[in-house]
Amino acid sequence: MNILLAWLGETALAEWIRLSRWVYAAVNALHVLGIALLIGAIVTLDLRLLGWRRQVSLGAVGRLLQPVAITGLLLAMGTGSLLFLADPGGYAGMALFRIKLTLIALAVANALLLNLRAGLASATPRRLRLAGMLSLLLWPAALLAGRFLAFVEG
Amino acid sequence: MRHQAKWLLAIVILLFLAPAQAHHGWVGGETIEIEGTITAVRLGNPHGELTLEVNGESWTVEVGQPWRNERAGLEESDLAEGVELRVSGEHSGERLLKAEQLWIDGEHYVLYPGRI
Repeated sequence: MNILLAWLGETALAEWIRLSRWVYAAVNALHVLGIALLIGAIVTLDLRLLGWRRQVSLGAVGRLLQPVAITGLLLAMGTGSLLFLADPGGYAGMALFRIKLTLIALAVANALLLNLRAGLASATPRRLRLAGMLSLLLWPAALLAGRFLAFVEG
Repeated sequence: MRHQAKWLLAIVILLFLAPAQAHHGWVGGETIEIEGTITAVRLGNPHGELTLEVNGESWTVEVGQPWRNERAGLEESDLAEGVELRVSGEHSGERLLKAEQLWIDGEHYVLYPGRI
């Protein structure tokens, strides 16, 4: 694992991210944009799952917000991987970073379980509420863990 | 159910307000000066980090991003293992210093001109 992390840190791409000024800043900005799209769409969807604005059909809400959330997630994951490359060993060694990845994995699993099993259209109201509640806790928790990485000592 | 959702929204909003008290960068710590030998170096984004051996104690010294170190006139070979360093900056944690200016071989390097 350490050998892999060290190797990652020595790639030309990692060197570029580590030493650049504006590329690093731009990747940071796009990471924030990805998170904004993801959290904005997913929190709205979660509130609907919990029963807010019930007069708007869940099918329509899902079709509108899920593609936005998925786009945001992919953008955040892509740019996040680049930011990780600047210091692979350092990030991997931080407990908070591993907690963040675990929270993201749980949040993604929660979304996949709902969509692949029952689906938004046919899940029971109780199932929808459970998924909405979990999502509303996990995604913001992942965001907090990520932001706090900059404020704790590695 | 509607009521419940309102409460959850309020909690989520509160969660986001809470971190305001933590802040990266300057925390208002005292300005101190330490002197020692560099024993480990990691330079690059998001910022460089040196381990400094100071009278048998290990200190972590945060230096700038590559562009800031370069602007101060520092080269990679200046911040290398074995180099003797005097550094002044903010005492921002136990044995943690955020460098504002430093001296190597009598040469003066300023990372944050606005803070000295």
